[in-house]
Amino acid sequence: MTEGPKGPSLLDLAESVVRSGKACGADEIEATVSDGREFSVDVRRGQIENLVEAGSRGLSFRVIKDKKTAHAATSDLQEETIARLVRNAVSRAALGSPDEYAGLPHLSSEKVDIPSLRLFDPEVSGLEPARKIRLALETERIALGDKRITNSHGASFITNEVTTVLAGSNGFLGSYDQTFCSLSVGLQAGDTDERVEDYWVSVDRFFKNLEPPETVAKKAVERTVRQLNPRKIRTQTVPLIFEPDMTDWLMGFLFSCISAVAVYQKTSFLAGRQGERIGNENVTVVDDALMPGKLGSRPFDSEGVPCRKTTVFDRGVLRRYLSNTYAGRKLKLPTTGNSDGGGVGPNNFFLVPGTFSPHEMIASMDRGLILTRTIGHGLNPVTGDISRGAFGLWVEAGEITFPVSEVTIAGNLGEILSQIEMVGNDLDFRSPVCGPTIKVGALTVAGE
Amino acid sequence: MIAFEDHLGISDAFKKKILETALSRGGDFAEIYAEYRLYTSIYMEEDIIKETAESVSLGVGVRVISGEKTGYGYTNDPAIDSITSAALTAASIADSGKTVSLPVFRKIQPPEDRYPLARPVHLATLEDKIEIVKRGYLACQKSDPKIKKVKVLFQDHVQFVSVVNSEGWEAEDARPQMRLVCTAVAEKERRKELGFSGGGGRVGLEYFEQTLSPERIGLEAAEEALLLLEAVEAPAGEMPVVLAPGHAGVLVHEAVGHLLEADFNRQKTSIFWDKLGKPVGSPLLTIYDDPTRPSFRGSYNIDDEGTPPSKTLLIDRGIVHSFLQDRLSARLMGRPLTGHGRRQDYTCIPIPRMSNTYVDAGRDDPEEILRSVTKGIYAEKFEGGQVEDSGKFTFSISAGYLIEEGRLTAPIKQATLIGTNIDILQKIEKVGADLTFGLQTGTCGKDGQEVPVTDGCPTIKISKMTVGGQS
Repeated sequence: MTEGPKGPSLLDLAESVVRSGKACGADEIEATVSDGREFSVDVRRGQIENLVEAGSRGLSFRVIKDKKTAHAATSDLQEETIARLVRNAVSRAALGSPDEYAGLPHLSSEKVDIPSLRLFDPEVSGLEPARKIRLALETERIALGDKRITNSHGASFITNEVTTVLAGSNGFLGSYDQTFCSLSVGLQAGDTDERVEDYWVSVDRFFKNLEPPETVAKKAVERTVRQLNPRKIRTQTVPLIFEPDMTDWLMGFLFSCISAVAVYQKTSFLAGRQGERIGNENVTVVDDALMPGKLGSRPFDSEGVPCRKTTVFDRGVLRRYLSNTYAGRKLKLPTTGNSDGGGVGPNNFFLVPGTFSPHEMIASMDRGLILTRTIGHGLNPVTGDISRGAFGLWVEAGEITFPVSEVTIAGNLGEILSQIEMVGNDLDFRSPVCGPTIKVGALTVAGE
Repeated sequence: MIAFEDHLGISDAFKKKILETALSRGGDFAEIYAEYRLYTSIYMEEDIIKETAESVSLGVGVRVISGEKTGYGYTNDPAIDSITSAALTAASIADSGKTVSLPVFRKIQPPEDRYPLARPVHLATLEDKIEIVKRGYLACQKSDPKIKKVKVLFQDHVQFVSVVNSEGWEAEDARPQMRLVCTAVAEKERRKELGFSGGGGRVGLEYFEQTLSPERIGLEAAEEALLLLEAVEAPAGEMPVVLAPGHAGVLVHEAVGHLLEADFNRQKTSIFWDKLGKPVGSPLLTIYDDPTRPSFRGSYNIDDEGTPPSKTLLIDRGIVHSFLQDRLSARLMGRPLTGHGRRQDYTCIPIPRMSNTYVDAGRDDPEEILRSVTKGIYAEKFEGGQVEDSGKFTFSISAGYLIEEGRLTAPIKQATLIGTNIDILQKIEKVGADLTFGLQTGTCGKDGQEVPVTDGCPTIKISKMTVGGQS
């Protein structure tokens, strides 16, 4: 267990809440204390626009009495407020209904070695504000240097340091520190009424791994200008290539469908289908909390369960739902260490990469669409149906021919998973929920 | 001032001292925002009250504006040192050496209280709220044997806001907020569909007796799920679209509202920035944003900068009339304040936001509008939308119907509609006389900040729009 500079007093606070909960009559209680330090600077057209710096703490806890659960949270950490919330929670629990599945997990004897996860970068906490501001200004300056760029949404540099402490009446006590930093820029190109826009963000736990301003600017420029002079296309059914960011949202939707909470609640089309073949052999999906330095890594989940690696899909076959203790008990499955707040959350949840380069995948496509961006909602976990606004690049005879805008794509997640024809080698973990470039058999693209 | 004095122990003298500290590097404007919020929630599922929660949010944010730059610091520690440190952080944005002397504080009084409550929710017992949850749950569950799953969530909060600034403004608000939402899953021969409904606003518990009953909310969720069991794939391609009155206001929120927020226009990233006073849509189209509608979810007595808001005309018969302003944009653009500076909470800088946005009633008969369509879709319920500054926007239908020969026929499954705003606004062919508001449950996100809003519209016909179905 590592202790940040604020570690000891936060541990004391979490333990005292557990003690006072027990003293008020709770059968079980679990308290989480978080302490965050945030810095963010937004620059636009060469000037600072916003500069925010702050620290804040929060406490949340749940009590279980007679198998009835009550939650509470507060940013007011004055003693009398906390004492009142603990008392209220214990008496409020009595108004709930008994639930045999409620309760804390059993204390595990396993422990994850926190330093080996490389969650904290001392360099991030030591960065001078002036340097952070310079990085944002530099990124935007390089991007605006490209003549094709006509306006800027601005560039931002953000750092976060967070200490998380968890104490439970089951004897668990743990804490870890983590850092995040990001550099981003958003751009517009084209005339007032014909403008296109996009952005790029580099994000990492370690400052030294962040892409430099030149790279962030160049990627944002490329992504923006490649959309200039778009065309509409006719409504048709064609193969689609998903760029990695697009695979990311597909994986995000998949996560919401394999969450054990959605499964026991029957609000997922994948409920009751463990062991079934859902995708084709190209679909291997893993949740792995133990990858050093990755954004979704953590030593234990929000119930203190040691985190691990779980294979969710193995060559198309649905092997495991991702679970917290409660949903696991409902489904008669052990928890997978995916508890997140009151629900289930991903760790590093990703589609295992293949061997194809994006270039090879485009070359293999006779006619079709490369999906570069989507906007809107249109994801239904109960049916797996997808319907979204889309932007992309049209491909003819293996080559990109023109940008496409103002179309929608529609399909079904189950059907997409069963027709993933090629999987790229370009998985980059810029997001904790992610995937490489993929090529999908056919989807309906609605246009004119 | 409840948030300052009762919960943070901030006296008048200390307020003055914080503002002076905030302006110590020569900023043009400083402001203290304090917030105290009490929340409760109740969740029912699998026939039991599964969870209840109570939470407290307390914090202070200090903002300094210097030219076009904003410095912001916040803390949830009421200690004098922490608040002073937030003020020093905000102060650091300025470097002018200018000194500002503070005027005498004067209280900003809103003309009326927009939350007339008979039974304030934060004073009601948990037992009373649980009873309401159960009524909605049972009505939904018992409505049809095909309803296999019901979830009901009740949430309420009361938010005490105090604002004081270096122009001597002092304002406060105590805002109630409540909503009851019900989700139903209907199942028939392995096919499953989801239905949703809800209600609420800045209202008291009397709402459930006088305006919308929990039973009605439960039944509506069930009805939507059952309807979708019979739904066919939505068509794909360009076709006429008729927007049902009420929920379809989300189209205006996305297609027009966001791009009339002043920050995007001051920065010239919005497609509307050079169109003030110019026609952008059909002369049938008039759009307002009105934070003063009593009891509405998006309403307030003062905005989060202390400004009493006004009903704001955005589009006047197709012509851009004004933008939604916060203090910073209003000053930089030389426009009057409209009272649309909102923030999610004390950790956030206020930005121009919508409140209750709607298309004003027109003159067409809704029946007549339907009869004018040979083949198209009727968009009835929505799960949300998104817009880009370039004017490209989407919104997703969660329930609707095919229109064939002027009549509603088969229900359709979810589909996303996409368009470019200026193009679509010109294609508005008919506007009904039946202005209705959508569910009092909506939330709008911008720059990572979520605020409560509502939308409304009458029946509207769009001559042609891209519908993203599968058939």
